[in-house]
Amino acid sequence: MQTKSVLLNRTTSLSDAERGRLEAAIASVRTFRAGETAVRQDTQVQVSLLLVEGFMTRHVDARDGKRHLVAVHVPGDFVDLHAFTLKQLDHDVGALTDVSVAVFTHDALEKILIDDAALARRLWFITMLDAAQHRQWIYRLSSLTALQRVAHFFCETHARLLAVGRSRGHGFSLPMTQSDIGEVCSLTNVHVNRVLRDLREMGLCQVRSSQVQILDLAGLVKAGLFEPGYLYLNAHVAAQAVGHIGESHDG
Amino acid sequence: MMDNKSWLKPREDAGVATAVDGVVVLDGPDGVAVTMTADAAAKTANSLHAAADEARRHAGAGPGAADGIGAGP
Repeated sequence: MQTKSVLLNRTTSLSDAERGRLEAAIASVRTFRAGETAVRQDTQVQVSLLLVEGFMTRHVDARDGKRHLVAVHVPGDFVDLHAFTLKQLDHDVGALTDVSVAVFTHDALEKILIDDAALARRLWFITMLDAAQHRQWIYRLSSLTALQRVAHFFCETHARLLAVGRSRGHGFSLPMTQSDIGEVCSLTNVHVNRVLRDLREMGLCQVRSSQVQILDLAGLVKAGLFEPGYLYLNAHVAAQAVGHIGESHDG
Repeated sequence: MMDNKSWLKPREDAGVATAVDGVVVLDGPDGVAVTMTADAAAKTANSLHAAADEARRHAGAGPGAADGIGAGP
């Protein structure tokens, strides 16, 4: 089932009937290779993509030639549901790893909107989750120090992966280079490198071969001033995300 | 509520500059996180020193001294 991770362990969820209806609305499943652009800025689009496997990003190519990562997506995320109403994006959507995505035509989403108000509300909730995360990213860049930014980003990614069963609670896969982390946190490679060393020496986490090993989750949460309320996780996963409950049983 | 808006007030804690691999990394205060070449860092330091001296003169001259409004003779 391609939609199994959608709204998993959030404060609202899909009923079995809603998940079945969403699944039935999938037009096709596509794959993109790591580094490929799935949706280009300013291009008319008639479909929206649900990330099934892998990691994707939203990024803005600024006039100064720099790429800025403005969102990282994990399985279960609709990467461009907002294109349903906007019809073209103000940013690119790219594959960070090899990915598979479920393709929904906007006609199919329109039919859901007309025929199933409850499911339409769930989809609206998903775009509101996007907005909440963007607000938090603004906060992170405007108010946090370099170490706090990286710690916050790690905690956020860990929490999101916990929700979809992709973290064991003491580590997760993060297929990002130091440059990618720098783009997320608006830091240079040198700065990221130093922060990662500091986090390791503080006994909070270590990053090796695209794996983040969490050594002290509660400490990492404190260092990143991380509060998961904006992710609208259910109570159990929210508690796990800040280290108040032990390891997850899944994946 | 106004008392809680610390972000509207000047910071009283200093940023920390560190030399890393031939460049200077400046952390804080607040959300400052910048990497500079040694030359850029030195120029920034000089500019900060000059601005700090001028700010102290403003403070010593009392309210309004900075823009000349209400300042004493």
